[in-house]
Amino acid sequence: MAMIEVKNVAKSFGTLTVLKNFSVDFTQEGVTVLLGPSGTGKSTLLRCINGLETIDEGDILVNGRSVKEKKNLREIRLDCGMVFQRTVLFPHLNVMRNLTMSPMKLLKTPQAEAEEKARFYLDKGGLLSKEKSMHNELSGGEQQRIAIARALMMNPKALLLDEITSALDPEMTSEVLKILENLAAEGVCMLCVTHEMQFARHVASRILFMDKGSLVADAGGEEFFSTIRKENKRISKFLHFIGE
Amino acid sequence: MSFYDYAYLTSNDAMQFVKATGVTLYITLMSLFFGTVLGVLLGLVRCSKNRVVRTLPLLVIEPLRNSPLVTQLFLIYYGLPMVSRIMLDPYPAAILALSLNTAAFMGVLVHNSVSAVPDGQWEAGLALGHSRVSTFCHVIARQALRLLVPQAITLYISQLQCSSLVALISIMDLTKLGQNLALRTLRPFLVYGIVFLIYYVISSPLAALARRLEKKLAFHY
Amino acid sequence: MYKLNFNFLNKYGGMLLEGMWTTLALVVCCLAIGFVLGTVMALFKQSKVKPLRWFAAVWVDVLRNTPFLVQIFFFYYGLPVLGINTDPLATAIIALGINTSAPNCEIIRAGLMAVKKDYYECAAALGYTRFQTLWYFVLPISLRVAFKSLVNNFVNLVLTSSVCFSITVVETMGAAKIIVGRVSRPFEVYLLILVCYCIFTYIVSFAAKLIDKKIRIKL
Repeated sequence: MAMIEVKNVAKSFGTLTVLKNFSVDFTQEGVTVLLGPSGTGKSTLLRCINGLETIDEGDILVNGRSVKEKKNLREIRLDCGMVFQRTVLFPHLNVMRNLTMSPMKLLKTPQAEAEEKARFYLDKGGLLSKEKSMHNELSGGEQQRIAIARALMMNPKALLLDEITSALDPEMTSEVLKILENLAAEGVCMLCVTHEMQFARHVASRILFMDKGSLVADAGGEEFFSTIRKENKRISKFLHFIGE
Repeated sequence: MSFYDYAYLTSNDAMQFVKATGVTLYITLMSLFFGTVLGVLLGLVRCSKNRVVRTLPLLVIEPLRNSPLVTQLFLIYYGLPMVSRIMLDPYPAAILALSLNTAAFMGVLVHNSVSAVPDGQWEAGLALGHSRVSTFCHVIARQALRLLVPQAITLYISQLQCSSLVALISIMDLTKLGQNLALRTLRPFLVYGIVFLIYYVISSPLAALARRLEKKLAFHY
Repeated sequence: MYKLNFNFLNKYGGMLLEGMWTTLALVVCCLAIGFVLGTVMALFKQSKVKPLRWFAAVWVDVLRNTPFLVQIFFFYYGLPVLGINTDPLATAIIALGINTSAPNCEIIRAGLMAVKKDYYECAAALGYTRFQTLWYFVLPISLRVAFKSLVNNFVNLVLTSSVCFSITVVETMGAAKIIVGRVSRPFEVYLLILVCYCIFTYIVSFAAKLIDKKIRIKL
């Protein structure tokens, strides 16, 4: 069964239509990359799945729960961890507290267990020495890696990543992408909006191409870069434009 | 008979309200005038380059800012005659106390506003061949004023509120009249309703003006 | 030349101290009331419900644009008419607590506005409810931002509390007035308590600076 079912969703901001009659299913496996020009509703789709935006028409089910029901939102958000382009670490908490607070308050995890888990993820990200740092003592890349760890602390079934490297310089970007690659290798299910083609090519098991609020292509990673990019003019133009 | 029966207040009382409003305004305006003049002087001395000179105004400013206005008022009205031959009537005592208090706060506002103008502006003015005084008048003061004006108006509003304290040395201002009438008519809600309204009508437009000026004059370096 | 004479302290020093305790009790109670009311009003001002916004706006506007002395008289003479007979100290606590909620509201609101939308979204995405977000993140962050102004306002509160003697509360200023009535040394008495207020506000400001250094955050 599909973990996330998007059914005929429409969403507009004022007169601007962002998603129209949009349907797609996601299973809980692999890395799905959402590609497409800016402003075509990729981020909006992720935000709708997580219930941060309300949808105008249609429905989205996460593990059978509709995002339209307010009481489902908590469960849905625990199922889908999300990391944003402009992530903020909570400024009054150090790195360790940033990581442990949510499991302790929301999942009632004991402190020792939460801290052990936090150290595990910090170690993976090579950030063990930053345990006591505050957010303004960290680089953008470090903050983003900690934000990923913070989302993983909640044991989500899938990670929604919304252009998490767009605000970073190339060096930091590669730091963050390396973490994602490792996670993908471990079988963490991810849904990413990104413009990093190298990453998409290497890691994506499935690629969705969106344009003007609808789905243009839905294919496996290799199929997308070999067959589909040649057949579809719109896609080849886009890939050419961003230098692929 | 309704609870708020206006018959409790006579036309004579209406005249009293007008007069009392006049007293409040008179005391406020007088003390704001003297306070502003003295405060600007204190503030400018605070901006002096000389360390010792710069610290002197603090001797006046700090005690005035960190103690209650009532105490200052009583010290001047009741205390001053004991230590000197100066025997002040309630009015001059009230105006003196309020002026000094206003001056202390004004001094700080002036100093802060001038300090907020970046050093680069000084250097630019001096580099163009202006003297220090000329640079101050033509470059610094104008920019400082933009910061100062909205804050000064806010200070004025608070000093209008503070002027009510003169009622405690038996000046028949709005507050004292309100107290007298409340005791006479035993209709505190009616009487104080009117007193609130008068203060509000004077104060609220000034507050709105301060907010508007703050938005209009604000700029970022 | 006038000679200062503080001999009255032998007899009335205790009374003055008692007055200071009353001042302290008074301002601590008002601090609590003003803080809670101020926070509630600040949240009202940000609320999506229009009547709540209006109520908070009127509340703050009226309190800021009318003198505290009139407000305290209003409660002192007004409450008995409503059949509520309280002692002057309780009346003073109510009046001053309500009065100080207005500036507190503005300060806390400025703090709340410093918490950008990003924080709300991050917390929501982690699964926090609206109330939890407020409690765990928005309030702690905005209170740290607002801390300095809140302390300034507390100093103001202490200074304003001296007005409460006008409804016969025997706090510092009230005690001073009684002593003056007995020993006719107004200059010394008022000068002394003026200095005491100064010392107290300096201690508060100094402590606040130390605390602020510890809890300050960069957004």
